[in-house]
Amino acid sequence: MHKTDINARLNKKKFLPPKAMAYQLYRNTTLGNSLQESLDELIQSQQITPQLALQVLLQFDKAINSALAQRVRNRVNFRGSLNTYRFCDNVWTFVLNDVEFREVTELIKVDKVKIVACDGKNTGSNTTE
Amino acid sequence: MANSANTNTVPKLYRSVIEDVINDVRDIFLDDGVDEQVLMELKTLWENKLMQSRAVDGFHSEEQQLLLQVQQQHQTQQQQHHHHHHHQQAQPQPTVPQQAQTQQVLIPASQQAAAPQVIVPDSKLIQHMNASNMSAAATAATLALPAGVTPVQQILTNSGQLLQVVRAANGAQYIFQPQQSVVLQQQVIPQMQPGGVQAPVIQQVLAPLPGGISPQTGVIIQPQQILFTGNKTQVIPTTVAAPTPAPAQITATGQQQPQAQPAQQQAPLVLQVDGTGDTSSDEDEDEEEDYDDDEEEDKEKDGAEDGQVEEEPLNSEDDVSDEEGQELFDTENVVVCQYDKIHRSKNKWKFHLKDGIMNLNGRDYIFSKAIGDAEW
Repeated sequence: MHKTDINARLNKKKFLPPKAMAYQLYRNTTLGNSLQESLDELIQSQQITPQLALQVLLQFDKAINSALAQRVRNRVNFRGSLNTYRFCDNVWTFVLNDVEFREVTELIKVDKVKIVACDGKNTGSNTTE
Repeated sequence: MANSANTNTVPKLYRSVIEDVINDVRDIFLDDGVDEQVLMELKTLWENKLMQSRAVDGFHSEEQQLLLQVQQQHQTQQQQHHHHHHHQQAQPQPTVPQQAQTQQVLIPASQQAAAPQVIVPDSKLIQHMNASNMSAAATAATLALPAGVTPVQQILTNSGQLLQVVRAANGAQYIFQPQQSVVLQQQVIPQMQPGGVQAPVIQQVLAPLPGGISPQTGVIIQPQQILFTGNKTQVIPTTVAAPTPAPAQITATGQQQPQAQPAQQQAPLVLQVDGTGDTSSDEDEDEEEDYDDDEEEDKEKDGAEDGQVEEEPLNSEDDVSDEEGQELFDTENVVVCQYDKIHRSKNKWKFHLKDGIMNLNGRDYIFSKAIGDAEW
């Protein structure tokens, strides 16, 4: 090994702080749950380890956070009556009744909806890649 | 079609996320010494579950499949084979015999983790078939819910008739009596999986029994009242819907449901449709009482005289919760997102949300921004 190479490498490579975890918020969605179920099946059949499954889920968190931030561009409006609200650990949880969700193309009505929202202010530092 | 915007974007986004994740974890898999084939299996499982959930309007594989079906109905079938072979490995024709469907309904002891996959765990083909078959069948449509559980119990009645109780994922219990056409429907609001919130259990007896009720079959089974006490296994029916044409609403506290659930898993379940049914004992109304159909009418009259109707109407007035609104759509409508700003003025709330995934009425929607108003 050449010392110059090592120095060059050290000079170029900056020390990166550990990457912040992306929100695990989206694991409880159709996409996330189907992934978790699939991973569970592979664990059951002992084709993968739980640790590997966890790594996959962490990667999923990054991917979904990034995709939502970058690849989705549509707006939705909604109106309803607020049944309950909760703010704990910087997470808002609402339950609304008789809600209408309006997108440009369609209208969706539900009798009850639960909204779980994490703090979206500092996502710039959370999402990576 | 009005929902073309979301129909187009959601599957594409999901597919791109799947591709990204699979590609990103490939290295991790290889580092762990896991074969690439396992990675492909993960991808297949993931896509299949998404298709089965029917929350998304299919991925390109299924989209192509459906498009091809429409085309071939007008054109020759040869193109279908070509398309199938071209895009995917050999796929069977989407028209599947009903056997696969009935297997889903009546298969006993299926586990929750792999509901439709229990049939053919390794074959992707039949999984596709199941997915497309579910969309075709009406009865399966009600069973094809994200949870996808169909445990079946067979109840041997006192008279020797075989009842099959199918408990679908949405909590609806379908009781099939092979010899007669009496079908009872009940709904149990399931304990919600995502949010972890347990809604109080409300049962509705929807279908009134047609016409007269023969002594052999006029038994309404309510899960909450299936008790196994010692040696006796009794199913305590209710008197409500039997003679009255109007559907009665029953509300039960959550505590009875766990009581019923472990009870239901014990086999065999024996119905006693005859027996001592006296109205004199009011102490334990909800407890074990055997009703004969002829006595049900008497009981109702007696109950009315006492100033108390039998169990369900009595308790139903106490319940304040408004769970009945969910009814057929047992999916908990959930929005998972991030908040930009939550504002409140007196009781007027304003929500500024972003980057959300919604599951409403069983379908998935996505937004980058959402603004809402609500009054508390």
